[in-house]
Amino acid sequence: MPLDYRRFNGPEDSVSYKIYTKDYIKPYEERYNELLDENGLRKDGRALNEARSMFARTDMVSQAKGSSYVEFKKTKVVCSVFDPREIPHQNEFSQLGQIFCEVKFAPFSCPRKRRPHAPDNEERALSVALRQALEPTVCRHLFPNYQIDVFIYILEHDGSCLAAAINAAGLALADAAVPMYDIITSCSLAVIGDKVFVDPTEAEEHVAKTSLEDSNINHGIVTMSFLSELKQISDFTQVGSMDVECITKAMEVLEVECEKLVPNFQRIMVMNVIHNFEQRKRLDDEAKEREEALNKKMEEWKQLMSAG
Amino acid sequence: MAGLLLSSTEKVFIIHGVQDDYRSDGRSNIDYRPMELETDVVSHASGSSRLRLANTDILVGVKTEIDVPKPDKPGLGKLEFFVDCSANATPEFEGRGGEQLANSISNMLERAYHSPHAFNLKQLCILEGKQCWKLYIDILILECGGNLCDAVSLGVKAALFNTRIPFVKAVLMDGGNVDLQLSDDPYDCKYLDVASGPLLVTLCKIGDKCVVDPSAEEESCSVVSLVVGITGNPKFYVTAEEAKNMPDVELKCSMIGMNGPGSVAPKTFKDAINQGMVAAKCLDKALGQALLRERQENTSFKKHSYGFLK
Amino acid sequence: MSGHVSIRLASERVNHCVASNNELPQFYTPGEVITGTQDFMRGHGTYVEDDSLKASVAGVMQKVNKLICIRPLKSRYVGEIGDVVVGRVLEVQQKRWKVETNSRLDSILQLSSVNLPGGELRRRSAEDEQMMRKHLQEGDLISAEVQSVFSDGSLSLHTRSLKYGKLSQGVLIKVFPSLIKRRKNHFHNLACGVSVIIGNNGYIWISPQKQDIMVDDNREDIQNYEMQNA
Repeated sequence: MPLDYRRFNGPEDSVSYKIYTKDYIKPYEERYNELLDENGLRKDGRALNEARSMFARTDMVSQAKGSSYVEFKKTKVVCSVFDPREIPHQNEFSQLGQIFCEVKFAPFSCPRKRRPHAPDNEERALSVALRQALEPTVCRHLFPNYQIDVFIYILEHDGSCLAAAINAAGLALADAAVPMYDIITSCSLAVIGDKVFVDPTEAEEHVAKTSLEDSNINHGIVTMSFLSELKQISDFTQVGSMDVECITKAMEVLEVECEKLVPNFQRIMVMNVIHNFEQRKRLDDEAKEREEALNKKMEEWKQLMSAG
Repeated sequence: MAGLLLSSTEKVFIIHGVQDDYRSDGRSNIDYRPMELETDVVSHASGSSRLRLANTDILVGVKTEIDVPKPDKPGLGKLEFFVDCSANATPEFEGRGGEQLANSISNMLERAYHSPHAFNLKQLCILEGKQCWKLYIDILILECGGNLCDAVSLGVKAALFNTRIPFVKAVLMDGGNVDLQLSDDPYDCKYLDVASGPLLVTLCKIGDKCVVDPSAEEESCSVVSLVVGITGNPKFYVTAEEAKNMPDVELKCSMIGMNGPGSVAPKTFKDAINQGMVAAKCLDKALGQALLRERQENTSFKKHSYGFLK
Repeated sequence: MSGHVSIRLASERVNHCVASNNELPQFYTPGEVITGTQDFMRGHGTYVEDDSLKASVAGVMQKVNKLICIRPLKSRYVGEIGDVVVGRVLEVQQKRWKVETNSRLDSILQLSSVNLPGGELRRRSAEDEQMMRKHLQEGDLISAEVQSVFSDGSLSLHTRSLKYGKLSQGVLIKVFPSLIKRRKNHFHNLACGVSVIIGNNGYIWISPQKQDIMVDDNREDIQNYEMQNA
């Protein structure tokens, strides 16, 4: 692991105090039982097949070409997209534009441990998955030899961070007026046994990732990004262990969930346009008012001049 | 691979061939190219293997070290994958050129081996909460002629199958410290149970169909490929008599990922996963048979090391 | 439905030896003295030191009268005028294409040495230069004849005959150029419906015979494919 010398790093062998708490070393069964209450509802009151409500806006970062902020309750993600620029350190001509993605966790974003500043394996894997998801939707032939930079900062991580990142990036690309074939949406789910948790939280993901060694139940996390108009899957990642039937079922559920997000995205984009028009209209009106006032004053002066 | 240049008509020729289920080298869409396997090729590693799949050449070495288990998983050992794309393979890998490819392969392996159904980390435990084995699995790519993922996963499983871990004779607690006593006899060791280890199958979408084991030329014709990790069947790794008494296991997907800039329709995706399942089963069976033959030679002391000499 | 998978162990490897019963010719290694006498002429793959002729490459000796050459087993293609070659276009340059032909240096195909549509006698205009990429693109395969050899050994090709030109659908196979003999005819139509072009440079092109019909039939496919990749 390369060390980051630009920052003052804490002692290497420090560990979070949380690993000494009872909460941390809870056995698997207890964790699993905590996920659902007696009514079959999840900890935050959602049903199993209910996704978290989304909050999203664009124009977070004024200096970026396009930017967005997406929030799924406690998962918060900022994305900014910058102007296309020539691909650095490249000697060959590339017909298609490239997308450069970087996903970064804030040091304090995760509940279990502090994130180091240097990019770790998980961040690199997320960056690759994000690029994989975005590449089919951007009209890359319009940017030969150019690269578009997409930066994702995960402020707070409470599960489904890849899905949130893809959603944020899709919105930011649209905000930056980068030509795209389709709106890209993404959603994830966690599988534990016969239960399917749509849009899982971090605690649910943690349980789904690990499983008892001797049991043979399905478990794992699936994230899918979908182009709803073209009906194409642009990225699909799965970890854990599932049979084929479970995967096909997950795919169908995710397809529906992804499509549910599309109207929201459309509304945000349309609202942006309306908002822009209104703003321009207001500016025009103001300019007109000023001009009228000026003209009036001119008239007054002219009269004064002629009178004087 | 980017270094390969093909004319558009050559690509059309390949695409048509795939459409008719007949590829340039005479294979059908679900056939693999011939492979050659040797285990125990590196003397300083606990387990090693070399797999050659047509023009793709992979060398895997496993080193065992002792580590402290994670506090939330006191009874489990650790696995770490590291892929090195040597500049021997293609000049493109020189410097940091192969880093991205190496990362993505090691990441896929890590995900595939993550589930306890794929690899049981309990067998690496020495003393719960105090000491465990950590396996460093180093993968060298010596030559690449397409289909790296599959070849790497086969090589890794073979190397793990070949890995011996020394017996721990006694564990003493001396105050807060753990005192291990290992056997001095190098033959006093145990083999790992990797029969359920996952194999990765790359399904390369060419035209409307998917092929397994794409050659470098075929890879350059496709815009998207699917990598599916399927757990192994323990029945293939024991003799026929023993297999009769074993319960049937259901093969499971332990990893799915996509590569390349394209996208796929849900229908194609489902078909591809099923195709991957079939391919993985054949692969697993062939690998199991080869490894059993190899182990037989090993135990009867008839084995010569062939290594890289041809 | 199940695919064919075969995994062979290294111990089951069979090493084929082609010349098992007939005698092997003598091999020379670099630095080995071929002859100590002065009556021979120095050819390719040899050098003179201390009054004796030594080999500079590993290979077999070839003697033509008094000229001694050492032919290496692996070598790049050394072109001669009139050779038929198969090559791949690497680059489109000013008034010429750069073609990879397995020789030490890339070969050149001048715009003036190709047949452009509309007859032989035609001035190369500025439009033709702009249309060069339409005619031959990077990655395209051509069959051609060596027109001349430059002083540095690089080749100048021409395709001024109907049998040469751009190759369409088929498979390219690469072998060592030393395996291919110079013959009168390098274009063969086999009875099984396969046509083969055996390039002197070790590139062999195998394609269906009714090529033109096939291209016309699949024009749409090709165009679609090109659109996708544009």
